Amino acid sequence: MLPTFNLTNELVLLERISTRNGKAGSGDVVILQSPENPRKLVTKRIIGMEGDKITYIVDPKNSDRTETVIVPKGHVWVQGDNIYNSYDSRNFGPVPYGLLKGKIWPSSAFGSIGKRPETVDPALKVLEQTNQS
Amino acid sequence: MRTTSFIWDVCKSSFTFGLIGLTISDRFASVVHVRGLSMSPTFNPPNNSSLGLLTVNGPSTDDHVMVEKRCLTDYKFSHGDVIVFSSPRNYKEKQIKRITGLAGDWISVPFSYDAVRIPEGHCWVEGDNPTDSLDSRSFGPIPLGLIRGRVTHILWPPQRVQKIDRKLPRSGLTF
Repeated sequence: MLPTFNLTNELVLLERISTRNGKAGSGDVVILQSPENPRKLVTKRIIGMEGDKITYIVDPKNSDRTETVIVPKGHVWVQGDNIYNSYDSRNFGPVPYGLLKGKIWPSSAFGSIGKRPETVDPALKVLEQTNQS
Repeated sequence: MRTTSFIWDVCKSSFTFGLIGLTISDRFASVVHVRGLSMSPTFNPPNNSSLGLLTVNGPSTDDHVMVEKRCLTDYKFSHGDVIVFSSPRNYKEKQIKRITGLAGDWISVPFSYDAVRIPEGHCWVEGDNPTDSLDSRSFGPIPLGLIRGRVTHILWPPQRVQKIDRKLPRSGLTF
């Protein structure tokens, strides 16, 4: 989740009510149970909610190939901010909303998709623009 | 003065018991009302005294079961466990089904020659009444993180109080 979180351990406040009420949305940083191991909690950012069309780069280190998916009902698409080194929905697919356990607060410090730190990679910039439109 | 201190005592004890009850139902066990026929005849069996083929299952005959939550610390489940889980299509709904496949098992897709391998951290759930059950045959394997508890006993109606056993699927081309 670089550069949003540092490499050294950070202490943040986890707010558990939004995910129970269904208020977590695109751009929020959330903690969820990993679909591959229910005892492991991972921190990712929600990129898309159900019904959204997501275009993502499958393997940014090696190629520019992109794929497009539509997030199914009841699921969310999560990605780490550091897509070069993140194991997320690009690997394990969309996750059911019921796996989300809490939202990192305050969300203004981490910004929505539009307010994230400037991306330098031009391929990623194009992706952000297509995902926003 | 006496009534205010009495009311205060009532408030304190109800708050205490409420907190204890919430902790118990969250961490140890709770009672759940079973609706629908997807787990017939294990839960909500058809009422024999009804009119022929028409089965009426009103609120007076629905089963209430005890759901234990201690299994959620390890997530160690076995084939045949009856579990409560949040539906992958709508996190607000809870469903009760039986686990018929665990990670690493191969499930054969009905009406085709394909076989699907259940991924790591997932399980395959099916209702005991296959004709009337919306389960993994529709929405695929579910992550174990969606499980909210395991059903151990039927508590109501009194003539149906019994322990729920692990029952392996009757038919089922799981191998």
